[in-house]
Amino acid sequence: MTIKVHKEVLSNGLTILAESNPANVSAGIGFFVRTGARDETPRESGVSHFLEHMMFKGTPTRSALDINLELGNLGAQANAFTSEENTVYYATVIPEKFKAMQELLSDMLRPALDPEEFAMEKKVILEEIALYRDRPHFYLFENAFKDYFGTHPAGNSVLGSDESVSAVTRDEMKAYFDQRYSPSNIVLAASGNFSSEEFLSDARALCGGWTDFKVDRDVSRHTSKTVYKEFRRKNLSHSHAVLLARGPSAQDEERYALSILANILGDSSGSKMYWELVDKGLADSASFDSDERDGTGCVMVYVSTSPSKLDDIVKIARRIVANPLDFSDADLERAKAKIVSRIVLDGESPMGRLMSLGLEWNYRNTSTPLSETIAKVRSISRSDIERALEKFPMNDWSEYRLLPE
Amino acid sequence: MITTHQLANGLSVIIEEMSHVESASYDLFIPGGLVCDPSDRVGAGLILSDLISRGAGSLSSRQLSDAFDDLGIRHGEGVGSDRYAFSGSLVSDSLGRALELVALMVRDPHLSEEEIPNIQSVLLQDIDSLNDNPARRSMVELSKRYYPAPYNRPSLGDRDGIKGTTRSTVHQLWRKLFSPRKAILSIAGKVRASEVLKMVESLFGDWQGEDVSIPTFGAMPRNDYFHIESDSSQMQIVFASPSVRFNQKGYYDGKLAVSILGASMFGRLFVEVREKRGLCYSVYARHGSTADYGTVTAYVGTTPERAQESLDVLLKELNGLKGTVTQDELERARTNLKAALIMGEESPGARAGSNAQDWWLLKRVRPLSEINAEIDKVTVASVDEFLAAYAFSPCSVLTLGRHPLSVPSGLTGEVR
Repeated sequence: MTIKVHKEVLSNGLTILAESNPANVSAGIGFFVRTGARDETPRESGVSHFLEHMMFKGTPTRSALDINLELGNLGAQANAFTSEENTVYYATVIPEKFKAMQELLSDMLRPALDPEEFAMEKKVILEEIALYRDRPHFYLFENAFKDYFGTHPAGNSVLGSDESVSAVTRDEMKAYFDQRYSPSNIVLAASGNFSSEEFLSDARALCGGWTDFKVDRDVSRHTSKTVYKEFRRKNLSHSHAVLLARGPSAQDEERYALSILANILGDSSGSKMYWELVDKGLADSASFDSDERDGTGCVMVYVSTSPSKLDDIVKIARRIVANPLDFSDADLERAKAKIVSRIVLDGESPMGRLMSLGLEWNYRNTSTPLSETIAKVRSISRSDIERALEKFPMNDWSEYRLLPE
Repeated sequence: MITTHQLANGLSVIIEEMSHVESASYDLFIPGGLVCDPSDRVGAGLILSDLISRGAGSLSSRQLSDAFDDLGIRHGEGVGSDRYAFSGSLVSDSLGRALELVALMVRDPHLSEEEIPNIQSVLLQDIDSLNDNPARRSMVELSKRYYPAPYNRPSLGDRDGIKGTTRSTVHQLWRKLFSPRKAILSIAGKVRASEVLKMVESLFGDWQGEDVSIPTFGAMPRNDYFHIESDSSQMQIVFASPSVRFNQKGYYDGKLAVSILGASMFGRLFVEVREKRGLCYSVYARHGSTADYGTVTAYVGTTPERAQESLDVLLKELNGLKGTVTQDELERARTNLKAALIMGEESPGARAGSNAQDWWLLKRVRPLSEINAEIDKVTVASVDEFLAAYAFSPCSVLTLGRHPLSVPSGLTGEVR
């Protein structure tokens, strides 16, 4: 099941990736813009995400309502998301509607930023911020990353604050768009049941006129630190802790070895943390992940439990990550089997493939066939993990806790 | 191609051969669920569904978990209101081994006593953590009040029921409910039906058990307005009213009417509450139904000072639908539903699940063409007939937040 990825770069720098598979019953399409919270100044905090909303609020030829109704008419499952590093607009449709979906999505990427719509959508964003304020673990993550990364922009908040979102103007958003949405900073990808030739030729016609300009991003590594901080909230029924240490970036070769180690130590089932913490009823959630970013990265422990147990839980979690090589060959093979199976299963859906195609290009300027990724995972040995740990020894932990007031 | 079989012990087996995938999925439904928990032990089913994967046959808890993981099987064991459900997705070569493990769990689980306190501890923490997700909590609280017992039991169980559950409660539940008589095993993916059937015969053919009776769905409680005090940033507003049941005449009229109202981006609620007024981030209406009941639920989450206006607009849109649905709106909802059906069934996991669900409700699997024909029959007039029959009232409304809202008199009742 090797499916070829067609690649073309337009003269304005837009990269187009097409992975056509006639066996699928649907097709996914998406624009992957290499911009997010980390590309914002403090004054712009939240503008990437706000702009993502405004893409649905009208273009020079379509009103917001036109866009909503058209998405409905196409039977599209369409959405968008903004992270610290990427803003992605995507849709899945049945094959007959692919061409129209491509036209609509391409038009949406050139928004009108109508002042009235801007003022209205600002209220929606403030409601979204209020929604997440009611989710304590989200609050902890946001504040932990902000403190941990310090002056490095990787810790910037995606949603921004009430203050920053209230203050941002339509013209400041337009200026941000004009600095970030260059075609050379965007990947257009498609996966599933569609014609590659038609997709590529439509892309040339629809996006070929977009003007290119240079876009920069600070991809330096953050400075590691070891701090302990507590945050307090009223009426908290659960306590949470996040531990962060230096980890591989999205470009570091060690990411394969550390993601397998993360599975052994902290997968949601069958991992060391699962058996020692969740299976025994001590924590309702315990995980260890490798959070790979553009040019930098961290590894992260997260636990959630009742307030009286938090001290003990964190001690156990710290012991597990302090002895990362304490696993058997069977543990290693099992983790690899789990990861390979996830890659195969996710790879069967056009949306699953679309996401890995677009994001991989944004981080590494390449597209790897599934079979190669699987072979790479299978090849990782204990000594690869040992070598990765020499570079990222996981001994520089910062710890953040969220506790009841 | 879909083939169906019934083993001598009653187990229904549905197999769909899919050519374009490398994976396979299974779904096993066993009638029972939280409605069958003893009334003073609500949540015992949650303990059973967790305990069942902690050791079976000759395998310890750890060995059973490792056996699934060695093959990279993505699996889940759970309990809903009326059934126990086991599902898994895997590279198709491993299907035989996966079914062996499932057979071990359902037929020969250890149900070991020493694991129960650990499971209780996590389940009690889950109940606590509901406070950290007000949107979910508001739905759970409304369901408790809206549905008749025992169908109103919370999906997380209740604190005393979980604490009071012993090994003997769980063991009795397992003996009573885990029977092949009305169970359904659905498999889809890169498989050969004849081979799968042979495997299933050898693993489940000699499984024996009695008929299980599930409590009948009783009369609905009186509709009302309920308010729960909470100092959260947003106010949660949830709404429920009766609708058409699955497979009843007018089912697709109801489904499309609610889609016109509350579908994600083109529905009237999204446009009126969010797009035109900026009152919220999240607003929707959904249509859910089983063989026993149908329900329209609607939700909006907003800050306290905008909550009254949000509720007023929500009710206005609900009440204003009848007689105003346009042909365009209907076609849009129809296109969406059909596209979602096609796209939702791409993967073996989705196919196995929807085949099992059809069998559960209808004792047969409907071809897509039959569903599409039903959807095509819906007209503006038939949607209006649905709206005349159900009209989104009487209804229940629940708010969770800093202060109660004013709900029109006659719609429900007094604030409790």
